Amino acid sequence: MAAAIALPENLDLKAAAPLKAAFLERRGAAITVEADQVRRLGGLCLQVLLAARKAWDQDGQAFSIKGPSEAFVETTRLFGAEGALLSAEFQGAES
Amino acid sequence: MDELEAIKVTFFQECEELLADLEGGLLAMQEGAGDLETVNAVFRAVHSIKGGAGAFGLEPLVRFAHVFETLLDAVRSGTVPNTVELAAVLLRASDILADHVSAARGLGDVDMGASAAMAAELETWTDPNAAPAAHAPLVEDAAPVAAAPAAASVSGVADDDAMDDDDLGFVFVPQTITVEAQAADAEPSNVWTVSIRPKSDLYRKANETALLLRELSRLGPIKATLDDSALPALGELDPEAAFVTWSVRLETEEDESAIREVFEFVDGDCDLEITRGEGGVQDAMASLLAVAEAPPVVEAVEPAPAPAPEPIEIIAPAPVAEVVEPVAPAPAPVVEAAKPAAAPAAPAAATPKATPVEVPGPGQSVIRVDPERIDRLIDLVGELVINQAMLAQRVGEYGIAPSSNLAMGLDELEQLTREIQDSVMAIRAQPVKSVFQRMPRLVREVANMTSKQARLVMEGENTEVDKTVIERLSDPITHMLRNAIDHGLESPEERKAAGKNPEGVVRLAALHRSGRIVIEVSDDGKGINRERVFGIAVKKGLIAPDLQLTDEEIDNLIFLPGFSTAEKISDVSGRGVGMDVVKRSVQALGGRISIASRPGQGSTFTLSLPLTLAVLDGMVVDVAGETLVVPLAAIVESLRPKPEEVRPLGPVGSVLAVRDSFVPLIDVGQALGYRDHSPAPTDGVVLLVEGEDGSRAALVADAIHGQRQVVIKSLEQNYQQVEGVAAATILGDGRVALILDVDATIAMRRRDGGAPRPTEPTLIAAE
Repeated sequence: MAAAIALPENLDLKAAAPLKAAFLERRGAAITVEADQVRRLGGLCLQVLLAARKAWDQDGQAFSIKGPSEAFVETTRLFGAEGALLSAEFQGAES
Repeated sequence: MDELEAIKVTFFQECEELLADLEGGLLAMQEGAGDLETVNAVFRAVHSIKGGAGAFGLEPLVRFAHVFETLLDAVRSGTVPNTVELAAVLLRASDILADHVSAARGLGDVDMGASAAMAAELETWTDPNAAPAAHAPLVEDAAPVAAAPAAASVSGVADDDAMDDDDLGFVFVPQTITVEAQAADAEPSNVWTVSIRPKSDLYRKANETALLLRELSRLGPIKATLDDSALPALGELDPEAAFVTWSVRLETEEDESAIREVFEFVDGDCDLEITRGEGGVQDAMASLLAVAEAPPVVEAVEPAPAPAPEPIEIIAPAPVAEVVEPVAPAPAPVVEAAKPAAAPAAPAAATPKATPVEVPGPGQSVIRVDPERIDRLIDLVGELVINQAMLAQRVGEYGIAPSSNLAMGLDELEQLTREIQDSVMAIRAQPVKSVFQRMPRLVREVANMTSKQARLVMEGENTEVDKTVIERLSDPITHMLRNAIDHGLESPEERKAAGKNPEGVVRLAALHRSGRIVIEVSDDGKGINRERVFGIAVKKGLIAPDLQLTDEEIDNLIFLPGFSTAEKISDVSGRGVGMDVVKRSVQALGGRISIASRPGQGSTFTLSLPLTLAVLDGMVVDVAGETLVVPLAAIVESLRPKPEEVRPLGPVGSVLAVRDSFVPLIDVGQALGYRDHSPAPTDGVVLLVEGEDGSRAALVADAIHGQRQVVIKSLEQNYQQVEGVAAATILGDGRVALILDVDATIAMRRRDGGAPRPTEPTLIAAE
């Protein structure tokens, strides 16, 4: 039932548009975002993730990020986006 | 499930390292070296433990770690002054944290009362005004925190609004946790607020906000707060336009120009506002919001054909690349290497390792390997060594000339085997630091309990020793240290009366000597009261009252089973575990322990252990028809004595004149009970050996076969301990040979005075 998206290693400028398209395709059902391969997360893809998160919340569907890689966790924290994208155990006032 | 368990195991391994880091950092803080870097490291250790514990739902651990972390965060931000008293409290807290980790691992219990009291104490430090209410949140904590170990809910600091009951803790409200908590307090002068509003061009020119933030974090700890209020809904989102903005709280000793320098290459592609202090956060955000709400960046809409050909006026693309290059790929190798072979195991395994923004240097990649794999590798290399020796022996039997290609090839093989062996052993070698690190606390605790003043001096923490040995060092060292403080050091009054510094010094040292690792624990206390020790040994029926003993022998009586000098059993060292237990556990490792004492000046425990329990360089000798291996490390020289050099001493003994001194002659065959009567030493070969205490002896053997590297096979594990024999090995021809324990052989001779060894089961190496 639940859809899944496996994030690519490199979430840079070029990845943003395909990522958005992938999310739009899967709209309407619970989604699992597999972030275990991510080695680089850029600002644009962050925006897509944030917007997707918002969209799924509006739809009342579950949105979860599964097994985030260390790089993903670290960059998300760096962006100050841990509250939106990471589950509680990865959050914290990391600088 | 198994996979989860495996990840959990990794987590606990990391916890051990993190706890060690934590203690190291706290100790540095206690000694006044609490710079920001140290505080950060300490914070990260606790934070990472909390993070991992959260992933496994280890609630009590998460709760305690959270309170701990909150205080550390306050120290880090300067809200709570970093003092020596604080460090002492934090050290105690780290003890309890370690207890929680052990408990979570199923290796013990946590004194929940002590934990709650400590949590309350930590909270009082975090917020002195909250003192009276300090217990309230704890009661609340006792109720299990539903499915989500949402650690932040415990906090008195976290902004409630920032938390959502959604299990992801999903928030779009700008997170002002840290900022708000600190705004109330006097703000440190080195705090800056940097507002960053990237334009779409920034991304189009292959620049990246993440890199800017990372560069900023190099100047000091940062906390970024993102604002996504201008972000359109997913359907309307132009994926290549910039909407999100950031406000960064930066703490740095650097000046504004250093901060500006970070943005040098994105000048014009990013609206930047730098203000001192954090009061400006709200204002700055407001002003940025105003801009953001203006018609959304029009130029962003024009589609950028993949990597837009850079217009010429763009500031030098080369330097941009320079900034990007070193930073971006850096964290990758660590993550890569840390991944176990099975990739899916990576996600959670990686998480507790919350490596902070300090980008790891390119050389710091670390591989985690299951120790069992290394052990297996070492075993295999051991077999390879035996096999190579067998091959060499066969070739020798065929009488092949040493200059032949075959013999030369074999030599090379031997060389290679040896190198492989060394490298493999080096993988498992670790500095004793990991064990030593735990000792300063122990010394403090024991000193407190016994009302003594003690200072620990450590030497040789970087001495490396095989992991198998290191794991077993902790208990004997702990015991020896306790003993040194409890029994060795005098009370401050007694010390003053004796004209000594009221603060006693306990020294813990590690060094390599004669191919073994030697651990020394010495104190500058009163030394052993020999009369009393002798008296107790007689009273307990351990020795005959008329026995004549040297001072050294009396000192070593304390290792006798059933001996305990403490008349009143103390809390510290009299828990029924005597030095005899220590001695037995050390012996089981092929080690030895001894004590030397000088009245009024202190005692020194010396513990010596093999560097590895795997291989040994030895001299193969023939004794009474048996083949024995004498550890090469102990041999000083080998010689054939002339008749005039051998002098009788006493009824049965004899000594050998070697240059200017006389050394006792020991017939190995007789010492091990292979024969009753020694042949004349002049008929055999003499190996001049040196024991660990520096004493020399001349071992008589019948013939020498040459040097060989042998793989140690434990005799204790496969048979039992045999006095005078350290272990066994398998020779090239497949025969088992015993490895001689040189020190024990010398000690036996001293004790028995050279008399033939009484009835002892004769151990004959099997064909």
